[in-house]
Amino acid sequence: MDKNLPITCPSCSSELKVQSLHCDSCGTDITGSFEMPFLLKLDKEEQKFILDFVQSSGSLKVMAQKLKLSYPTVRNMLNDLIQKIENLKKESEQ
Amino acid sequence: MKKFINPFHYIAGGKSLVIGIIFILLTSVIGYFSHTHFPDPVSVNISAEMPIMYYIIQNLANWLVFSTLIYLLTLTSTQSVRIVDVFGTQALARSPYLLAAFPGFAGSIDKFGKHLLHEYLGQGQSISVTTIEITQAIILIIVTLVLTIWLITWMYNAFRVSSNIKPPRSGVLFFVAIVVSIVFNQLITRQLIEIFS
Repeated sequence: MDKNLPITCPSCSSELKVQSLHCDSCGTDITGSFEMPFLLKLDKEEQKFILDFVQSSGSLKVMAQKLKLSYPTVRNMLNDLIQKIENLKKESEQ
Repeated sequence: MKKFINPFHYIAGGKSLVIGIIFILLTSVIGYFSHTHFPDPVSVNISAEMPIMYYIIQNLANWLVFSTLIYLLTLTSTQSVRIVDVFGTQALARSPYLLAAFPGFAGSIDKFGKHLLHEYLGQGQSISVTTIEITQAIILIIVTLVLTIWLITWMYNAFRVSSNIKPPRSGVLFFVAIVVSIVFNQLITRQLIEIFS
């Protein structure tokens, strides 16, 4: 089953932190309080978009061809993502 | 279904510009033979025969005036817009009106219109129309209305995709562009009638 990583508290909607990490190979557990990496705050489709964008050398034209979408559609997806990142940054600064 | 409502999700830029211009020219040629006029971006009527250049200029003006307005209005909100996307998607958005040029061949709409003008406004000569012709005319008018709704939906979606302006601002700008464009294109049509008749 494909699990989604929760990024906000289901009870109070506050941002979650990483408390525990585990090594499957040797069984080591690490506990503490770590900030969630910024990219993980985006949903899976947005993370995939960023990966595809990097792999396309930042070319929206190549992205559009890969995704079989029009150039302005892909540009709009990028603009919306930039807006979301800016909003998330503002929220985490507050 | 999405391709039917918003093809601009998949096609824009130069490709849509070329396809759109071909559709506009085809609409003009069919309009010439069926005497179908497009006096503004969202209107269809059947009227007197005119030279083919009248239809070509009229259809190109409908596309160019609206696209220019949309482009200028988009620049008031964002600089992140390509002119080829605005003009290309708006050209392709006009393709439903290719079908609107066909009902003019039936002749029943023209006859029905003249009949109504004489009956209710006392203009022109008395024309007898059969029930079949009235039914056919009403069906074709409804079809044209559906095509106009389809055209406006595509024009709006073309604007949304090429500009990425969100509602409600997109709705307001689109409405302004439509109204101003109707006024401009009606004036252009009047000039064209004077020149070509």
